[in-house]
Amino acid sequence: MLKPGMKNRTKAWRIYALTLTGILVWLTSLGLAPYFRSRGIRLNSLIYSAFAPTCHQIPSRSFHICGFPLAVCGRCTGIYVGFLAGMLAVPLLKAIGRTRPPTILPLIVWTFPLAADAAANFLGIWSSGIWLRFGVGFLWGTILPFYLLAGLNSLFLREGPEKSGRETGSRP
Amino acid sequence: MNQQQKPESFIPALIAGAAAGALSGVPLLGCLCCLWIIGGGMLAVHLASKSFPGNLTAGDGALIGALAGVIAAVVDTLISIPFQALNAELMQRLMERFAEYSADLPGNWREIMERGIGQPSPGWFFLGLVISAAIFAVLGAVGGVIGASLFGKKPAPPAPSAPPVQGATDVPKDPSHS
Repeated sequence: MLKPGMKNRTKAWRIYALTLTGILVWLTSLGLAPYFRSRGIRLNSLIYSAFAPTCHQIPSRSFHICGFPLAVCGRCTGIYVGFLAGMLAVPLLKAIGRTRPPTILPLIVWTFPLAADAAANFLGIWSSGIWLRFGVGFLWGTILPFYLLAGLNSLFLREGPEKSGRETGSRP
Repeated sequence: MNQQQKPESFIPALIAGAAAGALSGVPLLGCLCCLWIIGGGMLAVHLASKSFPGNLTAGDGALIGALAGVIAAVVDTLISIPFQALNAELMQRLMERFAEYSADLPGNWREIMERGIGQPSPGWFFLGLVISAAIFAVLGAVGGVIGASLFGKKPAPPAPSAPPVQGATDVPKDPSHS
């Protein structure tokens, strides 16, 4: 029989794998929308409308595949690709199984470029190109999995006391 | 946190979700993309923490944020309906203008335009709402966990000091102990 600590570890890896699968499906659907539209497959309108509430979807600010824009703008694409990159970094930083989110300071630091770029565009100080929008979105997206996974772990790894250590709730 | 004691989640999620959904549904304000929903999750946790005496865990934050996200998806969809009708009318006018210059456009321009602005049927609409709700729930959960990190911890109350026992020094020693 598995020890509680080992059981939690297995569960934590399962949560990680499911979240990773989720973001991969998410990114794939972003790319499938323009592909389906170019082939005249009606599913494209479902994908575009599903992502419409989360993004303005302005074509000039979006990357294009097969002649049609992705389902979200360049900044949002950056956030989601950054989220994937952050997910891939989680095991490297031994953050799987953490139930406490990082402190707020890294979030503030990671948010600053995105906020500064968005504010500058809004105020007309400069107009960012799509790659800068993608870049600041990417940077911000990399920090988000550390918060989301901590939340999911905290929800599903409650049974059994966690031992101290780098993988069990210690802050980065 | 005590397992039996759970924070009130519905009312904070309803308030924050409605606000986030309304703000993301308005076309001009919608340029902030998913940030409204993440902010909504944070706000929901902030409201929940105000009425909850204990500390909120990241899991509590994720649940409250996800609920706020689902509510935001519904509100956003409802608010978007009049704007979609407006957009459709604008697109109709645009197509009429395009028709005047159709000789200069590629042969299949009308097909391309119609393919692009095809209106979804009610079934597709509701399926889209369900998928949007799932997307919003994830974004709201992220905001909720961030909110729990920000607002979930209450300052620990000062440790109660033992009241001084009056006359403790006057207690005579038990002779049997000496």
